[in-house]
Amino acid sequence: MLEITNLHARLADGREILKGVDLTVKAGEVHAIMGPNGSGKSTLAGVLAGRPGYEVTAGSVAYEGRDLLALAPDERAREGLFLAFQYPVEIPGVNNMYFLRAALNAVRRQRGEAELDAGQFLKAARAKLKLLDIGEDLLQRPVNVGFSGGEKKRNEIFQMAMLEPKLAILDETDSGLDIDALRVVANGVNKLRSPERAAILITHYQRLLDYVVPDVVHVLSHGRIVRSGDKSLATELECRGYAFLDDAAAE
Amino acid sequence: MSDIRTGYIEAFQKQRAKSREAARRAAIARFGELGLPTRRAENWRFTNLRPLEQRLFPPAPAGTVPAATLPPLYRLGVPSHRFVLVNGRFAPALSDMGDLPLGVSLRPLAESAPALAPALDAPFLRESNPFLALNAAFFEDGFDLSMTDVVAGEQPSPPPELDRPIEILHLAAAANPVSLHTRNRLCIPPGRRCTIVETFAGSGPYWTNAVLEIAIGDGAALRHIVLQDEGKEAVHLGHRRIRLGAGARYDGFTLALGSQLSRQDTIVTIEGERAECLLNGAYLLRGSQEATIATLIDHAAPGSATREVFKGVVADRAHGVFQGKIVVRQAAQKTDAHQLNKNLLLGRQAVVDTKPELEIYADDVKCSHGAAIGDLDENALFYLRARGLTAAEARRMLIDAFAGEAIDLVADGAARSYLRRHLERWLAAREE
Ligand SMILES: Nc1ncnc2c1ncn2[C@@H]1O[C@H](COP(=O)(O)OP(=O)(O)OP(=O)(O)O)[C@@H](O)[C@H]1O
Ligand SMILES: [Mg+2]
Repeated sequence: MLEITNLHARLADGREILKGVDLTVKAGEVHAIMGPNGSGKSTLAGVLAGRPGYEVTAGSVAYEGRDLLALAPDERAREGLFLAFQYPVEIPGVNNMYFLRAALNAVRRQRGEAELDAGQFLKAARAKLKLLDIGEDLLQRPVNVGFSGGEKKRNEIFQMAMLEPKLAILDETDSGLDIDALRVVANGVNKLRSPERAAILITHYQRLLDYVVPDVVHVLSHGRIVRSGDKSLATELECRGYAFLDDAAAE
Repeated sequence: MSDIRTGYIEAFQKQRAKSREAARRAAIARFGELGLPTRRAENWRFTNLRPLEQRLFPPAPAGTVPAATLPPLYRLGVPSHRFVLVNGRFAPALSDMGDLPLGVSLRPLAESAPALAPALDAPFLRESNPFLALNAAFFEDGFDLSMTDVVAGEQPSPPPELDRPIEILHLAAAANPVSLHTRNRLCIPPGRRCTIVETFAGSGPYWTNAVLEIAIGDGAALRHIVLQDEGKEAVHLGHRRIRLGAGARYDGFTLALGSQLSRQDTIVTIEGERAECLLNGAYLLRGSQEATIATLIDHAAPGSATREVFKGVVADRAHGVFQGKIVVRQAAQKTDAHQLNKNLLLGRQAVVDTKPELEIYADDVKCSHGAAIGDLDENALFYLRARGLTAAEARRMLIDAFAGEAIDLVADGAARSYLRRHLERWLAAREE
């Protein structure tokens, strides 16, 4: 589904952040990416979603056999790629429901499905909110404005549940969540798990991975994937910290 | 440019105005002294008056109201008292005043002007605004709304709130250049309240030069909503004077969308204590449109409050100007006045000039002002696009939100959705 080969990316100031990332995610898989602060995890997610401000200097990304990097950010989204933001953006004056219906209809048009009118959308939205145990008042508020940290993350998961992406990338959606919210996030991902879909979970904590068991765990360090393994790698990182990677590298 | 000045003087000599002969002569003489404003005049520094300098707009000939229909676009959509002017003159066929409540009078100014003659112009001619002088020389009609006072204990006593909003439509249709000079009056006596929705619209090469005087008596309140949606070739100059008595409240909103050149001057004088002035609006400009919002709020009495918010969206090669001044006189202690002008600049060649100003002579006041000019929020744009909205849709959503937040300041529900509809229309036209 996703094949990243030797991906290099730098910032506008010339600083290289991604220094040759290789990663293959197959349909039906869940991958976790861990790694120290500043190692380039969000940069990788941003490059995949098409965030402006990064320049890809080498390498390639194939998404369902197509050149992902040649697509505009909104085309990627309509093709089924979803990024749950580490820092969801507050958008004053834009109603959450209005925004999400426009987004969902854009995606549905692309999938060749009929658009939803306001009533149909509301019905679908209510069902998802209930499933995820999120309050309905969220719909009537401006996008993320005045949301608590946890509410913002729940809103990301709600959007993901509505848009039903093929490839979901969750950038620290579990950070700063209480245990109930963590279950909401895990629940959201697990509900989407299917042989046709895949997910990449960027996280610092094993506790999310207790609820959503990944097929592969990777460690990103200094812009490269330095280790990959099964779920036990996450457990090892949890008790030993990232320092052991450097020790391992020195050996 | 002196040709233009002479042109209006000659046009005056040719026309045979029936009433107010002496006052008109004084006014055209005053215009002759002043000529059109130049950029050297501080108050006109930012306003590009080229369309008025380049061609003459002779006053629309007297006594004729061209046939016109009422575009559904400009119907408020709720029961109202409707007064329509076409090319500056009352159009009874399009108007529908309904049954006005007892003590309320809404009629063409042409009927009341002779009686009002001495009071109408004197203050305007002392000022150095040539457009006021030209208006005084040429105006023949307009709307004149007045009401009797609510007197305590009076039987039968009229309800303080007018039963329905009043819709005023200034329509224009011109095949050749014409100028439309109207004089309009609104007098809300003590204790009365009402809502007025005023719309300017039309087509062709015309120049609207409208003057509106508003007096709001002690404890009275006016909600005044203005949609300026003049035709593409039009020039719009709107001049408003508002006087507020003690405990009076003016709640004004302007949405400016139309005309190639527009300027709206609003001068509020707070004469009574504990009055409230809300002066808000939005201007959306594209192509090579020019628009100036100029406001002066003069706090002459203590304990009053002003809230002023204007938001601008300036695209393409358009030029927006905000000149807002709040004066707090020495007597006006405990004034609470805040002013804000925010602009979205959407084009490399788009220009905004903003000049907020506070002039304070009292020491115990709470006043602030601010101005901002910015682009659309890149992070918000990316967030919307990352959910599947195209760049154009995302931009539209953010512009809509920006201007919509200003429109949300309109308290009257029908007027708010009326302005919303026109905002959506503007945004949709932009995408074509
Ligand atoms: N748009 C940007 N502008 C400036 N610096 C950036 C930008 N994006 C990333 N960086 C820098 O690139 C490096 C990698 O950042 P990135 O956000 O990818 O790290 P991360 O692995 O997600 O870290 P964290 O675990 O703290 O979220 C950091 O030094 C960061 O400051
Ligand atoms: Mg990060």
